[in-house]
Amino acid sequence: MECVFGMVGNGFSLVVADSSAVHSILVHKSNEDKIMILDSHKLMGASGEAGDRAQFTEYVQKNVALYQFRNGIPLTTAATANFTRGELATALRKNPYMVNIILAGYDKETGPSLYYIDYIATLHKVDKAAFGYGSYFSLAMMDRHYRKDMTVEEAVDLADKCIMEIRSRLVVAPPNFVIKIVDKEGAKEYAWRESVKDAPVSNI
Amino acid sequence: MSIFEYNGSALVAMVGKNCFAIASDRRFGVQLQTIATDFQRIYKIHEKLFIGLSGLATDTQTLHQRLMFRHKLYELREDRDMKPETFASLVSAMLYEKRFGPYLCQPVIAGLGDDDKPFICTMDSIGAKELAKDFVVSGTASESLYGACEAMYKPDMGPEELFETISQALLSSVDRDCLSGWGGHVYVVTPTEVTERILKGRMD
Amino acid sequence: MMKIDFSGLEPRAPLRGESSELFDGISNSPSFHLPNTANFDGFQKEAIQMVKPAKGTTTLAFIFKGGVMVAADSRASMGGYISSQSVKKIIEINPYMLGTMAGGAADCQFWHRNLGIKCRLHELANKRRISVTGASKLLANILYSYRGMGLSVGTMIAGWDEKGPGLYYVDSEGGRLKGNRFSVGSGSPYAYGVLDNGHHNTRSFVYGLCILKCKRLHSRDQMHLPVGHTRFQCLLKERKLCSAPKETTELCVLSLILIFLPMLFHSRYRYDLSVEEAAELARRAIYHATFRDGASGGVASVYHVGPNGWKKLSGDDVGELHYHYYPVEVAAVEQEMTEVPVA
Repeated sequence: MECVFGMVGNGFSLVVADSSAVHSILVHKSNEDKIMILDSHKLMGASGEAGDRAQFTEYVQKNVALYQFRNGIPLTTAATANFTRGELATALRKNPYMVNIILAGYDKETGPSLYYIDYIATLHKVDKAAFGYGSYFSLAMMDRHYRKDMTVEEAVDLADKCIMEIRSRLVVAPPNFVIKIVDKEGAKEYAWRESVKDAPVSNI
Repeated sequence: MSIFEYNGSALVAMVGKNCFAIASDRRFGVQLQTIATDFQRIYKIHEKLFIGLSGLATDTQTLHQRLMFRHKLYELREDRDMKPETFASLVSAMLYEKRFGPYLCQPVIAGLGDDDKPFICTMDSIGAKELAKDFVVSGTASESLYGACEAMYKPDMGPEELFETISQALLSSVDRDCLSGWGGHVYVVTPTEVTERILKGRMD
Repeated sequence: MMKIDFSGLEPRAPLRGESSELFDGISNSPSFHLPNTANFDGFQKEAIQMVKPAKGTTTLAFIFKGGVMVAADSRASMGGYISSQSVKKIIEINPYMLGTMAGGAADCQFWHRNLGIKCRLHELANKRRISVTGASKLLANILYSYRGMGLSVGTMIAGWDEKGPGLYYVDSEGGRLKGNRFSVGSGSPYAYGVLDNGHHNTRSFVYGLCILKCKRLHSRDQMHLPVGHTRFQCLLKERKLCSAPKETTELCVLSLILIFLPMLFHSRYRYDLSVEEAAELARRAIYHATFRDGASGGVASVYHVGPNGWKKLSGDDVGELHYHYYPVEVAAVEQEMTEVPVA
């Protein structure tokens, strides 16, 4: 089952997501990237129904870009989080998007930040967050070892511990994970943690 | 589990002599899982008017945003702050507006009216006002709060004693509730000052 | 000609419509009246709803160099209501064996007591103590015989026998597992998260020598204090949002003096933990589970089973434990916001 989690460290935010595209008992794909790079300094890790996830994250991404085109300044992470919440809240009473989001960003003024936004549009700023069945294991693990002043290496180390715990304790554990980081240099893919290798799509 | 119990909350407001106190817990959870322990449920409308929103966290946030918007419009149009009674009617009207798809929260309103007379009231999710002279409660810990307040409350307390009473009532009540607690947040409002205090509480 | 023995397939639970007190000795397996109903399953469903089992729990046990460490929280909840904060979830079967309690409280208590009787009888008959393996199998067999009748038990049997430390997980579905480390209950995934793996070189504090010189925030015996008689001393932060000139409020002092004995060690599951390290690991795992799981809480009690039997090492109120692990940084009162003169 889906696992997305993230944390804020010293000068950066980190998001981890599994990369399985699952439908009932079938695994369609095990290298699906569920962390969208919204703009140069924002990451959006999302879990939920496949269609909603893709549609909604792309919708937010395009709107963030539109704002920047129109106004010449990028949306802050907090503003993006509130925009995302607004869209989810409006949709909630009509046709809800089934997506849970962890939004990570880096702003010049406020530094790194992490927002928890669930599918019913609850927004909360946090230091560490997790969604899905993996949250039971990763939350306690992060509670135990998290520090505000963690370096990238320490945070990735902790993320690896969480991944290992999920892989070993969760029945429906996904095999592969992707780790992305956003810091003052920008948002980037940091690493993949793969135990099953899919053939790259381009080879077919 | 009722949708009102999805996130868990505890809210209480008490009247003192020319002052009032409003307190809430700090937990934000999803059913039995605690997500954060620094959640805010009490919002300041103006220096002498506060609203606490228990129930579903997302609707708490939505409703708060809409109320702030309406109050700002009122301020611009009338060039004065809203009276607590007026504000309560506004909240009630806004809740009933959504009679067939209600905001899933129960507000607690507390304020100082003309000549600093304290006003407290609570409502159900569709806006049925319930005024009280002593105290009002809402949230998942409301039953135990009723008991605690019933036993501890006495009329015409000063701000310090009121703080003591409301804090003891809140903390002992949430200790009997799985879904609320993890600290407390208390505002004591007198005609001349507003004191915000964050309480240490059991973190289980 | 040999006949196949079908006796194992017959229902083993001693159930009958009538029971006579005259012939029921203690040594016999207890027997229960069956409800006089045509629809047994439907009746069961309703009955289970009536005696809703206390589901929220975190219990754990693991084997290490020095024996078995057993720990549990102490909360009993019914839905969202906390019905008790002081449940004894570690049941002392005999001086060498402990059982943990998750699921239905009555079921666990009754069958552990029953197991205690059986173990003692075994001891008297065979002049030696029963092995943990044997004891757990006795319990598993009983539970298996009642399978599908609505018992709710999730237990760990931990003890020390001739072969050394032993640990078994037994549940009411008839499962019985031997292992080195188990956690049972709603908070178990959180506990596993701490127990399973850890971070190298992380600092952990040896608890037990820590003294919290802070007025107890809230204890049962303080609940009766008349209102207003105690100075409330549990402020994390106080802030003046606005205040009248010349009035100053005194700062409620957070008299939180913590004396820690910090010690560096890896707090994660390893076989060669010392008793202190193992106890700390167990306590910490319970604490983290109570923090995240709403249905777990109260007191984190830790038991150790060694060659000379079990010993209760500690029982710490989680409410205080949190502030030992995460001491409050005494925040100064944020300066009151002074009135900005309207331009």
